[in-house]
Amino acid sequence: MRSTDVTRLAVRAYRLMAYVTGTMLVLLVFVCVPLRYLGHDAGPAEVVGAAHGVLYIIYLVVAFAMTRLVRMRTASIGTIIVLLAGLLPVLTFVVERWVSRTYIAPALAAGGPAASEQPVLR
Amino acid sequence: MSAATSRPRWWFLITPRWLAWHAFAVLAAWGMLWLGDWQFHRAEGGNALSWAYTFEWPVFTIFGVVFWAKTIVDEWRTPGGAAGGARAQTTRLPQPAGEAPLPAAAHTPATSDAFDDTEDPELAAYNAYLAGLSAGQQRGRFDGGPAGADPAS
Repeated sequence: MRSTDVTRLAVRAYRLMAYVTGTMLVLLVFVCVPLRYLGHDAGPAEVVGAAHGVLYIIYLVVAFAMTRLVRMRTASIGTIIVLLAGLLPVLTFVVERWVSRTYIAPALAAGGPAASEQPVLR
Repeated sequence: MSAATSRPRWWFLITPRWLAWHAFAVLAAWGMLWLGDWQFHRAEGGNALSWAYTFEWPVFTIFGVVFWAKTIVDEWRTPGGAAGGARAQTTRLPQPAGEAPLPAAAHTPATSDAFDDTEDPELAAYNAYLAGLSAGQQRGRFDGGPAGADPAS
């Protein structure tokens, strides 16, 4: 498996988790929490809340792996925004667009056919 | 060699900025474990949802530690990147003549990250040879590299 294939796989997993986690959080904040405090029904908020908690853990791992593969620095603002996006409603969708344009597309372009000709052991 | 007069490579770990980061990492890890313990007591008190959080907080703690370790590895490999800013320029080793430093975004593949040819003249020569080869290919012909620098494999 070439390194670009691994990157593509990580990017696909990141996109999937960004959308699933983001959707779950929007559901939690805009539907379940109002239901709990206005409709006095705590059931949906507990189920969706727990689901988002578990999904966010998976999102963290997948998104962090992606940031490594597209060579974003660990302690950079970009990486931290990507990781925290899963905690703020709607932000995962916006951040996914931004990361795709700024980091993923250039990394995949750089890892294309010319990659094998780059000097090694830098 | 100028590298001999500079500080050891791990020196950045004990600069005030990094000491503050270490303290923050330890505090954050302790805080997350404390939250996990708090949720555990809530779970024992009959709050079913707290069982989920009881397991979540330790996972976040582990992730925090991994993040902290990766930050150190990043700084170790490419001193003075996005995290270090201009401050870490003092720890940067001199680049070979005629070779511009790469921006962090244009970093070479992960498999070769651990190596730094600036400390090894032979390796630098080999990379210069490869760069020459690559340039030759782009012009559509081979004109070879410096004599004696032929790669055996």
